[in-house]
Amino acid sequence: MNPDPAAGLRARRVAPSPAVRLDPPGIEPPTCTAAVIGCGNPLRGDDAVGPILIRRLAEAGVPAGVRLVDGGTAGMDTAFAMRGAGRVLLVDAARTGAAPGTVYRVPADELVDLPLHLPQPHAVRWDQALAFGQWLLGDDYPTDVTVYLIEAATLEPGAALSPPVLRAMERVRTLIIDELAGDAAHG
Amino acid sequence: MTTVDLNVSPMGRVEGDLDVRVTIDDGVVGSAWTSAAMFRGLEIILRGKDPQAGLIVTPRICGICGGSHLYKAAYALDVAWRTELPPNATLVRNIAQACETLQSIPRGFYALFAIDLTHRRHAASPLYEEAVRRFTPFTGTSYGPGVVLSAAPVEIYAILGGQWPHSSFMVPGGVIGAPTLADVTRATAILEHWRSEWLEKRWLGCSVDRWLANRTWADVLAWVYENESQHDSDCGFFLRYCLDVGLDRYGQGSGDYLASGTYFDPELYARPTIDGRGQALISRSGVYADGTHLPFDQARIREDVTHSYYRGTAAHHPFEGETDPIDPENGREAGKYSWAKSPRYDIPGLGLRPLETGPLARRIAAAAPDAAAHQDHDPLFGDILAAIGPSVMVRVLARMHEAARTYRWVRGWLDQLDLHGPFHIPPPELEDGRGFGATEAARGSLADWIVLERGRIANYQVITPTAWNIGPRDGEGTPGPIEAALVGTPVADPNDPVELGHVARSFDSCLVCTVHAFDGRTGRELSRFTLGETA
Repeated sequence: MNPDPAAGLRARRVAPSPAVRLDPPGIEPPTCTAAVIGCGNPLRGDDAVGPILIRRLAEAGVPAGVRLVDGGTAGMDTAFAMRGAGRVLLVDAARTGAAPGTVYRVPADELVDLPLHLPQPHAVRWDQALAFGQWLLGDDYPTDVTVYLIEAATLEPGAALSPPVLRAMERVRTLIIDELAGDAAHG
Repeated sequence: MTTVDLNVSPMGRVEGDLDVRVTIDDGVVGSAWTSAAMFRGLEIILRGKDPQAGLIVTPRICGICGGSHLYKAAYALDVAWRTELPPNATLVRNIAQACETLQSIPRGFYALFAIDLTHRRHAASPLYEEAVRRFTPFTGTSYGPGVVLSAAPVEIYAILGGQWPHSSFMVPGGVIGAPTLADVTRATAILEHWRSEWLEKRWLGCSVDRWLANRTWADVLAWVYENESQHDSDCGFFLRYCLDVGLDRYGQGSGDYLASGTYFDPELYARPTIDGRGQALISRSGVYADGTHLPFDQARIREDVTHSYYRGTAAHHPFEGETDPIDPENGREAGKYSWAKSPRYDIPGLGLRPLETGPLARRIAAAAPDAAAHQDHDPLFGDILAAIGPSVMVRVLARMHEAARTYRWVRGWLDQLDLHGPFHIPPPELEDGRGFGATEAARGSLADWIVLERGRIANYQVITPTAWNIGPRDGEGTPGPIEAALVGTPVADPNDPVELGHVARSFDSCLVCTVHAFDGRTGRELSRFTLGETA
């Protein structure tokens, strides 16, 4: 078992992290055992799946110490939302060409050569946000990051979640609840 | 004469996409067409919905300025429902809106605009190596601190609004939640940290007060050379570099401006109305056309769809606005070329004009005479406009200047909160009514018009700063503001037209684009150049 799954990633970091603190002296960033971050735009059909999943989790309640983050479309800020988190579960819609509702579970420590490149703040993809987070947070970047991607069927303005994506969301919700329960059980 | 066409084509992602096409004649842009490549349709989404749906839906329009969308959506409903706002609610809304703008200022500069300053196009400048040292993404000595500290102000937003982005904590009659003394203390500490570590230490090299003592362009130039700290600050360097590489000499635009203003005096806007809005504003509204200051009146706004993918060629006021999309294929046959409408302002005696919006427009409004005691009066950019005219440099300087002014306001509002007073007064939920709410997002005028009938939204229209700035030609064939600002831009290398990036990014509009450069005669693709902008 690798004691530090992100070690490989850190070694690949192409730019040193900035030597400046976001938080004022004497104020520490809030910590949490896990941050669940849902990204996407609720106005665009299945792209809503991340934020809607966060709302479902909030309504049902999550174990103490879990931070729920509706990341919306503020790409860069996804990285800031990881501050102080022991582990991160990130949910986003995807368009890979697979069957709608296909779920990908990507352990981020298996991702190498993440692109440290921000095209511009309106178009930051999840992998770019992770690379940005590694640069931004340096040694404070969470060691355990998992990404769930759900293949979208429609991105039409104003459309509701499509049936396959709704089913996939329920699947991912269960998986996340199990992961969070595992955290709670193992302290 | 050599003519080259450059096409800027969309980059697939859920948010807005922008196409720009320019023709380059002998190395200078002769004409430009800007085209929003995506239909948003939120007016259609909102039709028939609950009156408060705009508070949920419009903050999702943008991942950068969702708080600005919430601010104006709340005021539109306050006006329609004739609510009463306690002073605390006005102050908290002001603080939140301002903090979102304070985030955008360094983020837009370092993560978007200044990256192009490291382009090899400028390698002949004696200051080039220093620009690379400071502004290179991720490794630049100024890039890191600027990007990291850009997130500090929205930490304050999250303290007050529960989350940032996409909060819906501003509601008719006030705000949800009352901050505690610990919240206000923490918010103040974060704001002061941002001021000392970025604004004063990195950007200005002097105190906020010293910078704000500059009243003229001559003052600004003297400020640069006053001492080593100011000369070597990012602001001092930015000015010296712009003057050296010529960013003060293109990107002018039409020179006509619109600001809808923002931030209210808590006593003067306790009962929000359309008519009472202008006098209650702190950051003033105003229109500036042909060198004359005029009052801003929302009734004079029209949205022309002659060149937009909507039915007809009418120019309606937003209360009568229609959003009736057509197939772009059919639209193109009628000369239409954008999903953006063309906002225009009916200027007395001059007719419908395109107007540039954004920080420079706000600073011109702030330079107008006759400010009331509670209102912003700031002559600096009136003088700069008269002395050297608008340009890429002046537009960006206006944005950065607002960091100091806005910081001062936020600090004052935090100190004015009365933690024992109310933050919300339950509103009457009127079945019918009309409302207008507006603000200044970081990148310019942002407004909603709402019509309620029988307890439902009968019409909802949003005009964004990006629509004002990137809108296409109107029925008269008059280009939109960015179309106009691109004209005259020198392009040294059509394979890599960074100068177009300088102009487009000086507007900081919220569309994503990639430039494909085509040879005008052969159609051969010459290059690909990423142009992204923000909100």
